[in-house]
Amino acid sequence: MNSSRILVVDDEPPIRRFLRTGLTAQAYRVEEAASGEEALEFLQRNPVDLVVLDLGLPGIDGLEVLRRLREGGAATPIVILSSRDDEAGKVRALDLGADDYVSKPFGMEELSARIRAALRHQLQQQGERPVFRSGDLSVDLVRRLVTVRGQEVKLTPREYELLRLLVTHAGKVLTHRHILKEIWGGESDVQYLRIYIRTLRQKLEADPEQPQLILTEQGVGYRLKPAEN
Amino acid sequence: MVAEILRRVPDISVHVVPARSGPIDLPRPSRAPQSLPPLRSFANAFGYSILGLAAGLAVRQGLGISNVTLVMLVAVLTSAVTLGLWPSLFACLVSALAYNFFFLPPLYTFTIADPENVITLLVFFLVAVIASNLTARVRTQAVVARDRAATTEDLYLFARKLAGGISLDDLLWATVYQVAHMLKVQVVLLLPEGENLEVRAGYPPEDTLDQGDLAAARWALDQGSAAGRGSDTLPGARRLFLPMRTGRGIVAIIGLHSNREGPLLTPDQRRLLDSLTDQAALAIERLQLAREMDKARVATETEKLRSALFTSISHDLRTPLASILGSVTSLKQYGDKIDAADQDALLATIQDEAERLNHFIANLLDMTRLESGALAPRMDAVDVTDIMGSVLRRTAKLLAGHRIVLALDDDLPLVRVDPVLFEQVMFNLLDNAAKYTPQGSEVTVRGRHEGNMVRISVEDEGEGLPEMDRERVFDKFYRVMAADRKRAGTGLGLSIARGFMEAMGGSIIATNREGRKGAIFILAIPVAK
Repeated sequence: MNSSRILVVDDEPPIRRFLRTGLTAQAYRVEEAASGEEALEFLQRNPVDLVVLDLGLPGIDGLEVLRRLREGGAATPIVILSSRDDEAGKVRALDLGADDYVSKPFGMEELSARIRAALRHQLQQQGERPVFRSGDLSVDLVRRLVTVRGQEVKLTPREYELLRLLVTHAGKVLTHRHILKEIWGGESDVQYLRIYIRTLRQKLEADPEQPQLILTEQGVGYRLKPAEN
Repeated sequence: MVAEILRRVPDISVHVVPARSGPIDLPRPSRAPQSLPPLRSFANAFGYSILGLAAGLAVRQGLGISNVTLVMLVAVLTSAVTLGLWPSLFACLVSALAYNFFFLPPLYTFTIADPENVITLLVFFLVAVIASNLTARVRTQAVVARDRAATTEDLYLFARKLAGGISLDDLLWATVYQVAHMLKVQVVLLLPEGENLEVRAGYPPEDTLDQGDLAAARWALDQGSAAGRGSDTLPGARRLFLPMRTGRGIVAIIGLHSNREGPLLTPDQRRLLDSLTDQAALAIERLQLAREMDKARVATETEKLRSALFTSISHDLRTPLASILGSVTSLKQYGDKIDAADQDALLATIQDEAERLNHFIANLLDMTRLESGALAPRMDAVDVTDIMGSVLRRTAKLLAGHRIVLALDDDLPLVRVDPVLFEQVMFNLLDNAAKYTPQGSEVTVRGRHEGNMVRISVEDEGEGLPEMDRERVFDKFYRVMAADRKRAGTGLGLSIARGFMEAMGGSIIATNREGRKGAIFILAIPVAK
């Protein structure tokens, strides 16, 4: 099943080299582009299953490539490579429709996990599975039933909506703004969100101080640990 | 109490300033007594009267006595027009007496026989006085109008000067000159600088003020009202100090002084001074605002530069690290699924990138060494050919895609350098050429003996340097086309090269090749004795 075709866009040859080798080893088919222009041209002619896109490209930068792709209607999952300190760039990329990001420098496992989550999400959207399981948590989206280690957990409607949103995007980072818009329907304070997340963690996590399920992406948003396959 | 203070501390001057009591305004100096015109005017008036008399004597023969008065009136009016009121009144008197003496019988005496002639003489005198009064008033008005026009013209020119793009010093100078010139006084201009008031301009030039004047100026600034000579506050000061204000506050203090006795300014002059200082105050404020804006802009630029620098360093450190970490984790995780050739490629990437990182860190350390002044060159007599050999070995990989031409003269003398530093300089220059010129192009290193220096040049076939970048390439973290992050440079190599060359008593400049495309870096190093 892992014969997905991935386009790697980065101007640094050594990075393209190890990405090609590392991804090929996982049975992905890897294409390369060294600039934004090259990437856009390639994508016009060749469909791919996922794009790994560096933000700091010479010429047309990564954000612009992303914008043009999404404006052109492409739904291809896109995973961004960014600098660790560039929170603003990450958030903008996610707002522009990127699926996820990894910060440089990153380990191959981390990128692979993001790629898998993005590809899986692509499939999930086509047929949402009714029961989600990750670690001790199980969420039955049809019966609206949440259990931790087999014990039912009572959630307020809003808490449930928040969890449901995270579950349907499990493994993917969701920006504060995205979550606020989905749950509170507009411009609300991130502070609300933080409080709800804390309550959710207290109800769901084994140790709310060191969350294993609902993970914080500092300065960007939250990510739910993906389901095991 | 003052006496008590003075008794205890004899070497100070004590100024007693009344606490603010009602509005302190500049006492309006009384109108200056109208000075009499000079004696010469009266002499002239006398002359006109004699001329009138002569003409009168002349016309008496032909036209009769009645016209004589008219002719003599002309003389009085002429005096009034040209000389003013007092000389013309004098002319009236002279003419009346002359008329009596020469024309009214008995002739050649001041007695008048016919009472009718007394009336004639009185009428003549009255007419003369009224006419001369009226005429003199017209003249005064004309003079005032002319003065006013001249003042207006001066004010206009002054305003134009202030509106032009002039520096603060020029502006202050123009102001003191204009005030001194138009009001015939001596002028100083003080600007608040932080806590202090500083004399910034004076006409005639003046650098310092005595304690009493400074105290008055200070008062004028703090209280925003007049102080010093002729005012209610510190009237003992030599000068009168007035605040120059705009809507935002006081921008300067102007100090006036004159050796003349009596009040410093007439009300007219005071009004003129106000309009001059109002204009100047606005202009000073405008310049100060412009300067503040400049400062703010420079701060923003510096901030931008700093953030660009930070981005650059973090990019340069992170990119090799990303490649190394990515390659290592790929090998660790999926090593069994990667074939031998790809494993070798990953290992090569790790090695290359580790070397690149090492190079960058070495550059950063060199830079730190240069900047901290910890660099102590160990000078030695060195053979350039020898050094080039080892540099070319070190750069072989970097320059694999370029053709290297080494053209060192055979008779090159030994040079006096630190061999390690000099090798680094040459390495950085070749590294730079490798990064900024296309693959397959030629890089030429020439060496020539010139006097007591050896001149070494590194010539490439790249795009050359934009005119404005020729010096800036040696700036720390500066890169030509810095926005284009395609170049893997650190922006430190050339800066280090220059630092090292200067530490060794040599020099390095950058320019473009003549007659063809490409940059050329020229080193001059002293020959070993």
